Amino acid sequence: MTEFLLGAAGFVLLTVAIGLIRVLGGPGNVDRTMAVQLLGTGGIAALLLVAAATGVRGAEDVALGLALLAAFASVAFVNSAAPEDDREAGRANE
Amino acid sequence: MSTSSDSRAGPPVRVAVGRAALFLAFWLMSAGYQPADLPVGLLAAAAATWASLRLLPPTATRLRLSSLIMFSLHFFRQSVISGIEVARIACDPRLPLRAGFVVYRCRLRSAGERGVFCALSSLLPGTLPTGTNEDGDLLIHCLDVTRPVVASLTEEETLFTRVLRHD
Amino acid sequence: MNTAIDIFTVVAICAGAAFFMAGSVGLLRFPDSLTRLHALTKADNLGLGLIVLGLLPQADSLLGGLKLVAVWLLVQLASATVAQLIAQALRHRGRGT
Repeated sequence: MTEFLLGAAGFVLLTVAIGLIRVLGGPGNVDRTMAVQLLGTGGIAALLLVAAATGVRGAEDVALGLALLAAFASVAFVNSAAPEDDREAGRANE
Repeated sequence: MSTSSDSRAGPPVRVAVGRAALFLAFWLMSAGYQPADLPVGLLAAAAATWASLRLLPPTATRLRLSSLIMFSLHFFRQSVISGIEVARIACDPRLPLRAGFVVYRCRLRSAGERGVFCALSSLLPGTLPTGTNEDGDLLIHCLDVTRPVVASLTEEETLFTRVLRHD
Repeated sequence: MNTAIDIFTVVAICAGAAFFMAGSVGLLRFPDSLTRLHALTKADNLGLGLIVLGLLPQADSLLGGLKLVAVWLLVQLASATVAQLIAQALRHRGRGT
């Protein structure tokens, strides 16, 4: 079981790496924010698999932290990446 | 965001206590129970409650539990279908994409309810809300615009509205 | 009994990994950023859900299982919120492209 879980973790990381190559290519900074999403989901999946395989207790807490941080990082980045006038327009619509 | 709601009379104690209990339970779950650590947990729960009351002031809207369970099951099924569908398109050699925008007139008026509905519909099959246009209608990006997107969103919105109860 | 549980775990995790791969294939093949965002959020979310489902019976305690579900719920909540924010930013930049 341990080997299978580690293998699955490696496979998921590989797909994340492939996706990262595409996403980091842009064209814009907003496209690159998707990398955070990708790492947030794929990285957590790999981390949980490794945690189950090795029985290291802390790894699940790291996954929990990563889930939180990925969300905040994306929200902060999208807010700062959007041009000022767009943000004003968004506010006016609410 | 919170300035307009601050005028509302002080937050009902019941809501604050309920939220604090939830946060403490979550803290206990993630940190584990040790008597010596409890003060830290209580402090964290208090801080989380303060932040949540500021950012999400209690409103008169309550959730109907029975409808919520039904809706959750329905939503869960839809999000599974959504993942399967996107995977199927991605792996299809012909790449059957007919992507485009669809305008959807959302009947939900409050910004909070709209936000939740948008978040939910971003996980539904083939749809991704991209904000509102000048008329306040939602612009939905779709993987396949030939699908009856508006009809299925209307259905989802009706189901979602049933969960909310306005006192 | 134990073998049945292990088979369940293996099947669920394999299915989850397959969805992660499909998500990455979508990222490579889809022509524009907004459609790529669909692939990223929807396929990967289901992938993570299946992997969590597969790991649940392997959890050594109820607490461990609850933590797994909490991680999954958090990711679900975060990606639902973030996906539309990124989509909005993409649309404002591209004005429809």
